[in-house]
Amino acid sequence: MERELLIEIGCEELPAAWLPKVTLEFARQLEVRLNEARIPNGSPPEAFSTPRRLVVTVAKLADHQSDVEELITGPAVAAAYTSDGAPTKAATGFARKHDSEVSELIEIDTPKGRYLAYSRHQAGAASTAVLPAVLAATLRDLSFPKQMQWDAALDDGRGELMFGRPIRWILFLFGGQVVPFEIGRTTLAEGIDVEALQSSNFTYGHRFLGKRASEPVKVKSIADYRAKVGERFVVLDHAERRQKVQKALLARAEEHSGSVDLASPSVSALLEEVSDLVEWPQVVEGRFDETFLELPREVLTTTMMHHQHFFPLAGPGQSLLPVFLAVTNTAKSNSERVSRNAERVIAARLRDARFFWEADREILLESRLTRLDTLLFHKSLGSYREKSERIEKLAGWIVDKIFNRNDVRPDTCKAARLAKADLVTEMVGEFGELQGIMGGIYALEHQLPEPVWKAIYYHYLPVSPEPGARPTATDLGTGAVTWAAVALADKLDTIVGLFSVGERPTGSRDPFGLRRQAHGIFKILLDLPELTGLTARPSCDDLLAAAALPFESWKTDANVKEAVSTFMLERLHYVLDQRGHDIRNVRAVIRATGSEVKPLEARGKLEVLPEFTESSEFKQLAMAFKRVRNIACDLSDTDYEKAEQSRPDLGSLLTEDAERHLLAEIEARQPIIEDVIDAGEDFRRGFTEAAKFGPTVNRFFSEVFVMADDPVVRVARLRLMKRLERLILQLADISEIVVESGEGSVSHLTGDVGK
Amino acid sequence: MHPETFLRVLGSSPWRVAYVQPSRRPADGRFGENPNRLFKHHQFQVLLKPSPDQSQQLFLESLDACGINCAAHDVRFEEDNWESPTLGAWGIGWQVMLDGQEITQFTYFQQAGGQVLSPVSTEITYGLERIAMLLQRVDNVFDIEWSPGVKYGSVRLQEEVEQSKYVFGRVDQSPEDFASFHRGLFEQYEAFAQMLLKTRLVIPALDYCLKCSHIFNILDASSGIGVAERTAYILRVRKLAVAIARAYVDNGEVNEAGD
Repeated sequence: MERELLIEIGCEELPAAWLPKVTLEFARQLEVRLNEARIPNGSPPEAFSTPRRLVVTVAKLADHQSDVEELITGPAVAAAYTSDGAPTKAATGFARKHDSEVSELIEIDTPKGRYLAYSRHQAGAASTAVLPAVLAATLRDLSFPKQMQWDAALDDGRGELMFGRPIRWILFLFGGQVVPFEIGRTTLAEGIDVEALQSSNFTYGHRFLGKRASEPVKVKSIADYRAKVGERFVVLDHAERRQKVQKALLARAEEHSGSVDLASPSVSALLEEVSDLVEWPQVVEGRFDETFLELPREVLTTTMMHHQHFFPLAGPGQSLLPVFLAVTNTAKSNSERVSRNAERVIAARLRDARFFWEADREILLESRLTRLDTLLFHKSLGSYREKSERIEKLAGWIVDKIFNRNDVRPDTCKAARLAKADLVTEMVGEFGELQGIMGGIYALEHQLPEPVWKAIYYHYLPVSPEPGARPTATDLGTGAVTWAAVALADKLDTIVGLFSVGERPTGSRDPFGLRRQAHGIFKILLDLPELTGLTARPSCDDLLAAAALPFESWKTDANVKEAVSTFMLERLHYVLDQRGHDIRNVRAVIRATGSEVKPLEARGKLEVLPEFTESSEFKQLAMAFKRVRNIACDLSDTDYEKAEQSRPDLGSLLTEDAERHLLAEIEARQPIIEDVIDAGEDFRRGFTEAAKFGPTVNRFFSEVFVMADDPVVRVARLRLMKRLERLILQLADISEIVVESGEGSVSHLTGDVGK
Repeated sequence: MHPETFLRVLGSSPWRVAYVQPSRRPADGRFGENPNRLFKHHQFQVLLKPSPDQSQQLFLESLDACGINCAAHDVRFEEDNWESPTLGAWGIGWQVMLDGQEITQFTYFQQAGGQVLSPVSTEITYGLERIAMLLQRVDNVFDIEWSPGVKYGSVRLQEEVEQSKYVFGRVDQSPEDFASFHRGLFEQYEAFAQMLLKTRLVIPALDYCLKCSHIFNILDASSGIGVAERTAYILRVRKLAVAIARAYVDNGEVNEAGD
């Protein structure tokens, strides 16, 4: 029979940012643990959450575990019977232990030989008896970005129970009956005010709203639960809360003929967040003095959004209105009072901001540099002053040597030198999220030209690798080239610097956001033509080497360089995959050059590669190329180089028709392919040329045996393979693209060749 | 931080205490010109150890006792974990927001003086100026009515102006001399605290540790120290705090058990 399961973990306010993940996890882990406990569920678990509760329901859950057949191995057959066939003591003892007879035992084959075994049929226990252990395991499974001790322990042999916030009640019903469950307290804490927590059939409504807020209310079923909390001012479902907020925001905006920019990522993220800060969302409106509109828009929106979780409102002309919308967790009847107080808070904050704005503008960014000496970037990498000096050098080098734009070198260097100066302004001290932006705004206020102020303003961007990520070419205007140099220099310096002092991201830990920095670098390099009009295509290695000049360990410790290169390549794979390129093609293109990869070229190759990968000619070549690579590794690079230098040349060593033909083709196509590579464009021509190798290579393999007995012939043929391999690798390692015939499945060929 | 909190959260003895504490933050000095920021403000500190299951409820009832009807406002607990690197202390908790204004810091202490705490304590830090501004509906801290007919400004404004001038170096002394005088003080206080600690005088040692912490804050606010030095100062105060915490537990807890 199936019954319904309802679990509500009543918590003190869980951080809004945690709810989406922990809610999913609650449902998923419960299902895993139910399966493990052999309790079949006829419907999937559904989870809900508010700041004060994590809820999971299963509409149909078996009331018993499924039965289990278990084989218990006994003595070896050889030891079970005497020579006349009578059971030994070992056999009878084993049977007795399981309340059975020797005649009822069965024989099984094991790796160690033939054994007697007892087949036990175990009937499933009632689910109620097993569910407490299921919940205990599920609670242990839930992970929080930061856990706390709250003097709690579970009786599951693992002792202390850490959790995101203290748990204050547990509603635990199966088929309408309370499932007994206890969270114990540690001996040092337990007392009249600190008690063990027992499961019950009670829940609680909103903390403050309703006549009997904070009084427990009895629950009978899932439907009853939903109705009861609903009546008590709790909207259980995140989507429903968000919907409610969104509707109210739009309605208010309309009253002002204004708009809330829900399409912007920061506004929609705020909408998600506020929906998880409240159980009963109500939108309240407030105003602030119009004179504050003189402050930079970025300051106004940051004050409202980041500090107060308020939504700014734009007027018909897109300029801000002196109005904000706040999402509250209280009754509509309180709106006026709440709004008045919220206005007071926002006015105070804006007055602060205005104070900073006025004070900051009196000091030139240039004169702030000495103060940067006192601001630590990293304990082993010195101050932000030192970082500024490093990025000034690096950005100057990039704009000069890579971008070939010596004309904007002075502006680039100036922007790089001043990029971090705003960290010691009052405004950024208070509104950290405005770093860079304020520097740019102050630079503009001090009449610095667009190439300088925009480079400062946007230098922390981009933070995501999508082609459309900010800043766009329009955002950048005449500051595009200087910006690209400064943004690259800052990020490269951070990555190389931190790696060189042992700060590397591991697993989910990336405290310095190095992955994001790398994504920013690749976004700039991949979209350089669109963003800046430049066609420069530096390799990853060149940029890293230049960025590494100030760091000692780069020179002394080969692992550092290796680690950074590997990390960067991983990130490039990720970014290209995110951009929708077939991951096999991405691997093919990157593996061909390794860390010498030029991201912009990789992009150029990936854009045309799909035109080829489906053609049968190309597939044929890909298959053959796999073979070429496998064989070519029988000749070491040094032996190959040596042989290529020696006389007589390869042509005179090859005798068979098929191999001479292949050599001729290599010699004919090589200049064309190398031409394409040198130009860094028109990769279509390169791949077209390469694809034509297919029939010749196939013929070679069907007519020529590479591993001939005669060492001279063998080496000559290996050289031929190697030449072909090297030529095609300039384009891509197309052996990565092989599709298994018939199955159409991907060959996961990684790391088996070319090591 | 006050000994009644810093020391009492250590060890296992139950403790409950409440007191008003002036809190000095040199970097927040604004010459009395800012309506919200102060060199010195006042906190009402509550420590409940072990942390009662009803901690939040007790806090909300205390607001009610102050005349704040929570059901008539938007009261929220928003994630904000407290941390003091100089004292090797941190906790999990919230800033309590009333209609968008932070009025209290609510913390479940997890560590102090580098020691993991068991049992956990509840620490509630009421921001008295903030709450008074809210109850009296004034927009400027200096307009709070301190007592009938007496404004906060007439009690405190002069101190704000003078302390700000002092900490931001508007004194008749060169910045170098100013910094070197305070460095000297730090050294002396630190050495004295270490001596007290050797003599097992834990509470006076904490006093001197806190003096070090304050001197460090002044040096920091007046730009008197560079980067590497800054970290070094933090570590020195932290080392003292950790040693004091250890001495208190070794010492005090044993004494108590002997009572």
